[in-house]
Amino acid sequence: MSAQPVNTGELAVVGARVRKVDGRELVTGQARFAADLRFPGLLYASARRAGVPAGKLVEVDPSPALRLPGVVAVLLARDIPGPNLIGILPPFDQPLLAAGEVRYEGESLALAVGVSREEARRGAAAVRARIEPWEPILTVEQALDPAARRIHPGGNVTYSKKLVKGDVAQGFAGAQVVVENTYQTSFQEHAYLEPEAVVAVPGGDGRITVYASCQSPFHLRGHIAANLGLPASRVRVVQAYTGGSFGGKDDVATEIGALAAIAAVRLGVPVMIAHEREESIIGSNLRHAARIRYRTGALRDGTLVAGEAEILLDGGAYASESPFVTMKAMIHAAGPYRVPNVRVESTTVYTNKTYCGAFRGFGVPQVTFASESQMDELAAALGLDPLELRRRNALRPGEGTATGQVFTQSVGIGRTIERVAEKAGPRPMGPKPAEGPPAGAQPATDGGRYLYGRGVACLLQGISNGAEGIDVVGASVQMAQDGSALVGVGLTDMGQGSRTVFAQVAAEALGVDITRITVRQVDTDAVHDSGPTVASRSTTVGGTAVLKAAREVAGSLRSMAGLMLKCPPEAVRLAEGFAMLEADPQARIPLAEVATAAYWSGFPLMHLAFSRAPDARFDHETHQGDIYIAYNFGTHLMDVRVDRWTGKVKVLRHLAAHDVGRVVNPLGLEGQVEGGSLIGFALAHLERIDTEGGHIRNANFADYAVPSILDRLPTETLVVEEPSPAGPFGAKGVGEPPVAGAAAAFANAVADATGLRFTRLPITRADIAAALAKEV
Amino acid sequence: MQLEFTCNGRPVRMQADGSMRALDLLRDLLGLTGTKEGCGRGECGACTILVDGSPVNACLLYAAKLQGRAVLTVEGLAKGEVLHPLQEAFLEEGAVQCGYCTPGLLLSSKALLDRVPHPTDPEIEQALSGNLCRCTGYAKILKAVQRAADRAGRGDGTSRRGREAGR
Amino acid sequence: MEYLIAGSVEEALRLMGGLDEQGRSARYVAGGTDLAVQLAGNAAGGQPEALVDVSGIPELLRLERAPGGALSIGAAVRLETLARSADLPACLSQGARAIGSPQIRALGTLGGNLCNASPCGDTLAPVIALGGRLVLASVEGRREVPAEEFFTGPKATVLRPGELLVEVDFGPAALAGRSAFRMIGQREGQAISQVNVAVWLLAEGGRMAEVRAAAGSVAPTPVRLAAAEKLLRGQAWSQGLGREAGQAAAEEVRPIDDVRAPAAYRRLLTAALLREALAEACEGVQ
Repeated sequence: MSAQPVNTGELAVVGARVRKVDGRELVTGQARFAADLRFPGLLYASARRAGVPAGKLVEVDPSPALRLPGVVAVLLARDIPGPNLIGILPPFDQPLLAAGEVRYEGESLALAVGVSREEARRGAAAVRARIEPWEPILTVEQALDPAARRIHPGGNVTYSKKLVKGDVAQGFAGAQVVVENTYQTSFQEHAYLEPEAVVAVPGGDGRITVYASCQSPFHLRGHIAANLGLPASRVRVVQAYTGGSFGGKDDVATEIGALAAIAAVRLGVPVMIAHEREESIIGSNLRHAARIRYRTGALRDGTLVAGEAEILLDGGAYASESPFVTMKAMIHAAGPYRVPNVRVESTTVYTNKTYCGAFRGFGVPQVTFASESQMDELAAALGLDPLELRRRNALRPGEGTATGQVFTQSVGIGRTIERVAEKAGPRPMGPKPAEGPPAGAQPATDGGRYLYGRGVACLLQGISNGAEGIDVVGASVQMAQDGSALVGVGLTDMGQGSRTVFAQVAAEALGVDITRITVRQVDTDAVHDSGPTVASRSTTVGGTAVLKAAREVAGSLRSMAGLMLKCPPEAVRLAEGFAMLEADPQARIPLAEVATAAYWSGFPLMHLAFSRAPDARFDHETHQGDIYIAYNFGTHLMDVRVDRWTGKVKVLRHLAAHDVGRVVNPLGLEGQVEGGSLIGFALAHLERIDTEGGHIRNANFADYAVPSILDRLPTETLVVEEPSPAGPFGAKGVGEPPVAGAAAAFANAVADATGLRFTRLPITRADIAAALAKEV
Repeated sequence: MQLEFTCNGRPVRMQADGSMRALDLLRDLLGLTGTKEGCGRGECGACTILVDGSPVNACLLYAAKLQGRAVLTVEGLAKGEVLHPLQEAFLEEGAVQCGYCTPGLLLSSKALLDRVPHPTDPEIEQALSGNLCRCTGYAKILKAVQRAADRAGRGDGTSRRGREAGR
Repeated sequence: MEYLIAGSVEEALRLMGGLDEQGRSARYVAGGTDLAVQLAGNAAGGQPEALVDVSGIPELLRLERAPGGALSIGAAVRLETLARSADLPACLSQGARAIGSPQIRALGTLGGNLCNASPCGDTLAPVIALGGRLVLASVEGRREVPAEEFFTGPKATVLRPGELLVEVDFGPAALAGRSAFRMIGQREGQAISQVNVAVWLLAEGGRMAEVRAAAGSVAPTPVRLAAAEKLLRGQAWSQGLGREAGQAAAEEVRPIDDVRAPAAYRRLLTAALLREALAEACEGVQ
């Protein structure tokens, strides 16, 4: 990455509160999501699901379905030309259609194709499957029992890693205070409003186009081609407008993309698969449930000396992103603190439940809940204010993270703590009595019914693929003769606003208004493979590639303008849609004229540039080394009021401070913080996938409590800008981090209000009311 | 059955199965795919349309119930190139992220503002409580509706006072 | 699925009778917000062959107050109408307001909510607390059933095949008394009741001369809270009395653990919601 100092000069578009560049089509209903696409002869397909969590798949009989009117075909596992496998990290372990064995209730056994959605669904339901049920493996303990049935040939451990920094035994030996606890979190559903959908359209030229609601089109292309038994060049994936993803539209989009493509090729007509909500919940990945044993040692002044964690993740039936979630959880377990001795063991296991994978935060919310609960327990044990304890241990530039990585810039955790401290104001229900004990003790009450409390939480979240693999983005910028520019990046906008960020970066570099920039939708035929859209990397790594490409095009324009203005290119500035003399801005030529002249003079007006994050360099045994290109740091504060009678919690105040390096679009930034925080709050309070005997009992929005507008948080976004050399204009991603902060702060606030430490998320109203009733 | 109703101000006359969902009629027969399906069970509000000015879930509405009614979908909000004030406000305030819930939210908001031009925050919350959004955290949606109301009522000052009172 | 629209109660009964004679399965539909969900979840089979829409029958759309104060609400009166009416018993409006979302209330009807007979339906406890009587029509004629006796189990009622709920009648006391409703769900908006409670009382000389309390989602059907009522009858309101009544109610209900709430929590909620509802209903009683 460039060693040059971060540009902090005057910017025109970057930092401005701009509208979403693709907003107009979204508010007018013109944006076409995958299920909105219509093609002549379109057929619909629907999967027959297993309905039982584990068993031997003896026979799948399509004949009852084929007898139904409107059912065109039924595909079975043997109809799949390729390996019938998908996954993230080889060896892949997830079949498109099960063969021989059922590993979770949502397993697809057959695909019915019908002339309407209803007929396809009826066909799927009519497929007869003979399954000899096995006792399902439902808990992590059952899975790890050496005598347990193996869910996969390699055993029931999906992935297991260790992080070792310093010597924890020695660290604990020197500790004056030690706290220890075990924490649990539950499965969480993405609940994007758009259920997964794809349409596969055969081209007649031996190629097939798949329009998909998805997150990583190149990932889809590879798997679809492999399962079709075709080279990747014969498959084109176009990302349709995507109604939210949050990590959830990788595996499942691959699965239905490949199935639709196989059906379409076989039948020679376009085929759509559009999930219903229940399928979306049962048949696509969830956030891992976690059990984390955590021990923290400190000196009496609060200085952390040792941290030890054992992380066990329930990954469900297939690996999906589990290996990387295992690692990410581990790397973040020690929080944004200076801890000299750290030991973390992190393991994901298979169970006969819906598989788990990427979900905004990627393992970090779970460990942050644990580590930040520990910090509060430690503060209570030491009689220290929770924020003060964090302040004393917050990482500073030049100090090592849990992996020993040292950042000399853009370590803003301390400043986020200060921002929150400044804005915090009095505790709810006024200051505590001066003579009262410090935080964590008996809080103020209100006629006995209401309890008030305040919680804080600090966090860090690694930006970029880091230890998960090579991180390269290719971006193209092309200027037309009218002075407008077309930007192509292989990273997708699923609603988070990356197209707007890319447009801002390009507009800034080219000196044009943002309305002159078009950011194309991702089409694998038209943009460069940029890796998966994950890990809060779009703004940072993607934005850097766009900036580089735009600067090259700007260089051409400046050269041309130099000839026209009779000055060296360096004397030309591009701004306000003009090329102008730096020294005399009145001497200016409209950019369209410059671009036209450049075209006729043969100056290149298109450029493809790459941004490559430095490869992670670390010891694979201990995970010591340089993992991420940057971290987003944050501090959240929540004030709550708890109703003793019903367990209802009202969030009175929510401060969310994040070090984002540089704000690119305040509107987008606030949107990410507000939306991410609500998902974190839901993880902590409202949402839990409820499974019984391997069946999800609440696969709908009536019983799975996605927050409504009446449940929203009063989030105030506080910005800290510690520019990072890794991102464009110093910017760092912010998509994921708020989830962890809000979840952990909520748990700490409830603990502060009730005087009871809840160690399992979600902390539901029922949990709180029951615990308080016992207290009386 | 023979159905006659108006959709986005234009008369519609068609043959349709009265027991089909209004959602499918709009999307598949009239090509109005701006109305989205999010859950098919009336739990998310993505398919909200206005029937005689009332917001309803098109996924639960039998097509026969459109007979003689006036239907408004998201496609009918803008006047040609000119966006409806709510559409402008949603863009201006950043109330749109993925945009899948947006058509339904716009229509629930319109139903509210048509009935209560200067709503309080609690009134807005109640009116939008049947529309789930997973991206925004809702704060910007609330602001957008306030903004649209303010714009419509600019000068009379009642809306802001009303809001303060509602806090 | 054939879709038939009835213009009168007689036509509805006749259509239903005719379908029955042809051996065709059929269901009445009003707003359809429960029925459509039920049928959509049942794509593989169990679809009736016809629907008979009663939502436009003028008799079912009446909302009338007799000179003596008696109240009669047609079965197809929409929840939104009840929710917005300021001159209905408070607990009924509050219950209607708690159902689903504005979108659901714009379609859903009082009769639909009652006949769906879900133990968590938010108009059920209010109708019971208000002493409502349900008028049911069939080809044989009409009969009246007290609301309390209408529900026989989850999703089960005394309705006979082809019988139609026409209206719900309330005596003058329903409006003369004070009432309140409370519910709580897993989230704040669009929530299904984990428990709901309705109370109605007639105050005389600062005391509760008559009290009826009912709760939903605490048993297979909505239930009267008899022990709590007994405690309250003849007493003057106090926070202490509210606590005792809540306690009694929590002990007398028989909730179950399910996906929406554990039984123990439902008992706590029954107590809390009854206390709140009582406090509201008793506010200002002299």
